[in-house]
Amino acid sequence: MELSGLISNLALGFSVAVSLQNLIWCLAGALIGTAIGVLPGIGPVATMALLLPATYALPADGALIMLAGIYYGAQYGGSTTAILVNLPGESSSVVTCLDGYQMARQGRAGSALAIAALGSFFAGSVATVAIAVAAPPLTKLAQQFQPADYFSLMVLGLVASIVLAHGSVIKALGMIFLGMLLGLVGTDVNTGNARYTFEIGELFDGIGFVPLTMGLFGIAEIIANLTNAERRDLVSSKVSSLWPSRDELKRSVAPVLRGTVLGGLLGILPGGGAVLASFSSYTLEKKISKTPEKFGTGMVEGVAGPESANNAAAQTSFIPMLTLGIPSNAVMAMMIGGMMMHGIAPGPQVMQQRPELFWGMIASMWIGNLMLVVLNLPLIGIWVRLLLVPYRLLSIAILFFCCIGVYSLNNSANEVLFIAVFGLLGYVLMRLGCEPAPLIMGFLLGPMMETYMRRAMLLARGDANVFIERPLSLAFLVLTGLLLLFIVLPSVGRAREVAFKE
Amino acid sequence: MHRRTFLKSVAASTVTTATITRASAQVASWPDKPVKLILPYAPGGSTDLIGRPWAEKLTQAFGQQFIVDNRGGASGMIGTEAVAKSAPDGYTFLVTPNNTLTILPSLRKVPYDPIKSFAPVARLGDLLCGFVIHPAVGPKTFAELIDYAKKNPGKLSYGSAGLGTATQLRLEMLKFKAGLDILHVPYKGSGEALNDLLPNTVQLMNEINCIPHVKAGKLIMLNINHAERHPEFPDLPTLTELGHPNADVPIWNSIHAPAGTPPEIIAKLNAKIVEIAKTDEMKARMRSIHAATPLQTPAEVAAYQVADMQRNADLIKSANIKLE
Repeated sequence: MELSGLISNLALGFSVAVSLQNLIWCLAGALIGTAIGVLPGIGPVATMALLLPATYALPADGALIMLAGIYYGAQYGGSTTAILVNLPGESSSVVTCLDGYQMARQGRAGSALAIAALGSFFAGSVATVAIAVAAPPLTKLAQQFQPADYFSLMVLGLVASIVLAHGSVIKALGMIFLGMLLGLVGTDVNTGNARYTFEIGELFDGIGFVPLTMGLFGIAEIIANLTNAERRDLVSSKVSSLWPSRDELKRSVAPVLRGTVLGGLLGILPGGGAVLASFSSYTLEKKISKTPEKFGTGMVEGVAGPESANNAAAQTSFIPMLTLGIPSNAVMAMMIGGMMMHGIAPGPQVMQQRPELFWGMIASMWIGNLMLVVLNLPLIGIWVRLLLVPYRLLSIAILFFCCIGVYSLNNSANEVLFIAVFGLLGYVLMRLGCEPAPLIMGFLLGPMMETYMRRAMLLARGDANVFIERPLSLAFLVLTGLLLLFIVLPSVGRAREVAFKE
Repeated sequence: MHRRTFLKSVAASTVTTATITRASAQVASWPDKPVKLILPYAPGGSTDLIGRPWAEKLTQAFGQQFIVDNRGGASGMIGTEAVAKSAPDGYTFLVTPNNTLTILPSLRKVPYDPIKSFAPVARLGDLLCGFVIHPAVGPKTFAELIDYAKKNPGKLSYGSAGLGTATQLRLEMLKFKAGLDILHVPYKGSGEALNDLLPNTVQLMNEINCIPHVKAGKLIMLNINHAERHPEFPDLPTLTELGHPNADVPIWNSIHAPAGTPPEIIAKLNAKIVEIAKTDEMKARMRSIHAATPLQTPAEVAAYQVADMQRNADLIKSANIKLE
C-alpha cells in the first residue's frame, strides 16, 4: 500500500475513533473487558453475547469499537488473576501463571503486573500498525496454510511443550499425553461418535477449557495453600515495590520484542494461532536464556514475552475477520454477529465499502490499548493490596467467583462439579510433582492435531505423503525432529537433567 | 347414590370450569412476564442472527421481554431437549434451524421426540443460498458443475458445517439426485469450512457466509436452493428450474413451543409473527442476512416439518449417510 494512502486512511480512522461518542464506547468496552478479565471464568464471549442485543441501538462503528474493546480489555484483565492468584482467565494467560504467580509470591506482583501491561501495550501498538499496513498480504500468508501444514505445526507445538515443565521430562511427556486424552472427550468431528461422554450432555462437546484450567491451576493452588500455613503466608504477607526495577525493565525489552513478532505472526492463523502464541514465546525465551533452570521460579522474561505475544496475537486475529469475514476464534464469531446485526456482511468488501468503519476500528484499537495501560497502571496498587486480604477470606472469594463464572458459561451445574473434580486432580498432580502447563497444551493442541491430520488425509484421499510433500509441513516436521533429537540425545539429556533439577 | 354422583359431577364440572376460566385468563393476559427463546447454538451463528431481530420485534409488539437464551452444544440437542422438558405455559420456546428436528433424529438417537415433544408455532427465516464453487475449478454454471463432476469422479471435495447439518444434507442430495461422487469434509462450523474453500482446499459449499465472497467475485454461486429466485441474484435458477423438482429445500429456521402449550397462545404468537414478517422493515432485515420468512399457520408448519423429516429420512437411507 502506498504511504500517502495509508496516512489518509489512518487519518480517516482516527477522525472516526476520536469522536466523543466513540471514545466513550471504546472506554466502556475496555473497562468492561478489564472487569470480566479479572473475574475468573466470565470470559469475553459470554459478555459479548449478553451485550450484542444492546449494541443494536448504537451506530455500527460505536458498537464494533466497544465489542473490540471488551476483547482486548479481557486480555489485560486475564493476566491480572493469573499473576495474583494463579488463575488463568483465558487460554493465552496459562503460561503467565508459571512465572507471574511465582513473582507475586516473592512480593513482586506489582512489578509483574506493570511489565505485563507495558509489554501488552507495546505489542498491541505494533500489531495495530501491522494490521493497518499489511492486512491483505498477511491474509494471503495465512491462506498458504493447509490442513497438513497445521498438523505439522501442532506436532512441533506439542513437542515444544515439554519445555514448559521445569521438572522431569518423563513427567512432562506424561502430562502432555494425559492432556491429549482429556482433549479427546466429546463428539468426533469426522464420524460423529461420542467418546468418553458417559451420556453426560455437557461432555458431548468435550471438557470445557475454563473448568479444566480453573480446577488444575486455581482450585488446586487454593487446596495446597490451605494445607500449608507457611506457603499461605507467602502469598498474602509480602508485598514489596509496586514498580519494576531498572534491571527488570532492561531484561524485559528483548522478550517483549520477540514476543510481539511471534504473537503477531501466529495470531493471523485461524484456529489455534492465538493459543500457540503465548506459549511459543515462553518456549523461545526459555530456550535462548542463559539461565533456563530459573524459569518457573519468577523470571520476568517469562511474563514479558508471553504477555506481549498474546496481546499481539489478539490484535492480529482481527485480520482474517476484517479481510475475509472468517472468525479465527469464538470472540471473532461474535464480532461477525455484531456486524451482521448492523447489516454489514463481513467479507473482503468491508474495507472498500465501509472504509470509515474499517479504519475507525483499527484506530480505536490503538486508542483502546492506550486507555488500558493508563487505566491499568494506577490499578496495580489496588490489585496488589488485594493480596493483603487474609487468605482464609481471599480463598473463599476466589472459589465463589470461580463457581459463578463457570456456571455462567453454559448455565450448567455439572460444569461446577467438573471444577471440583479437576481441582482434586490438580492437587494430586501437584503432590506427585507433575506440572499442569504441559497437560493444558496437550489438551488444547491434541484434538486440533487430530482434526487437521484426519482432514489432511481425507483431502489427500488417504495419501500420507501429503505431510512431507508440502514444503511448509515438511519444514515444521524437520524442526520437530531436530527438537526431539535435542531432547532425547543422551548427552544433551543429561545436561538438561542437571540444569533442570535446580 | 344418584345424588352422590350428581354432586360429584357438579363438583367436577365446577373444578373444570374454574380450570378453564383460569386457563383462559392465563391465555388472555399472555404474555404477562418475560418469555424465553431457547436457541440451541452458540451466539454469532446464522440462527442467532435470525433469532435476535425476532426477539427484539416480539418484545416491542407484546410489551414483554423476549429473551434469547443460547444453549449450545451436542449439535443442538442440549437446548432442544431443554425446551422439550420445559413447562408448556407459553413462556419457553425453541428457536432452531431444521437440523435438530428434521435431520438429526434420522441419523442418531436424540433425547426428545421431534414431533411429539413440540408444537410448531411459525417459520422464522429460510436461508437464501445455493451451491458455491471456487472459480479455479472451472465450472461457471450448474450444468457445467454436473458435467465436470461426472467426468472427474472423486476429484471434488465439499466442506460442511459438520455431520448431520443441513449444509451436508443439501450437497448429499445433489450428489444422490445427480449421481455424483464428491468427497465430504466436515468442519466445526461454516466459518472453518469457508476458510478452506477460499484457497480452493475444498471446492464446494452451501452456506450464506459465502455470499459476500460471491459478490466480491472470489467465489461463484451456481443456483438457489429455494422455491423462488434470490432478489439479489436474479439470474441464478432454482433447482426445480434446473430439472431437479422436490430438491428446492432451504435451510429453514422456526419457532416451536413445548407440546401441550395452550393453542390460543400459539395462535396469538403465530398471528403476531406473520404480521411482523409482512412489514418492510423486517423483510429488509431478513434480506440483509440473506433470509426470507414464509408466512404459515402452525398447522402448515407442522405439515412442512413432517414432509421435510420424511424427505431427509429417505435421502439419508437411500444415500446411505451414517454417523459411524
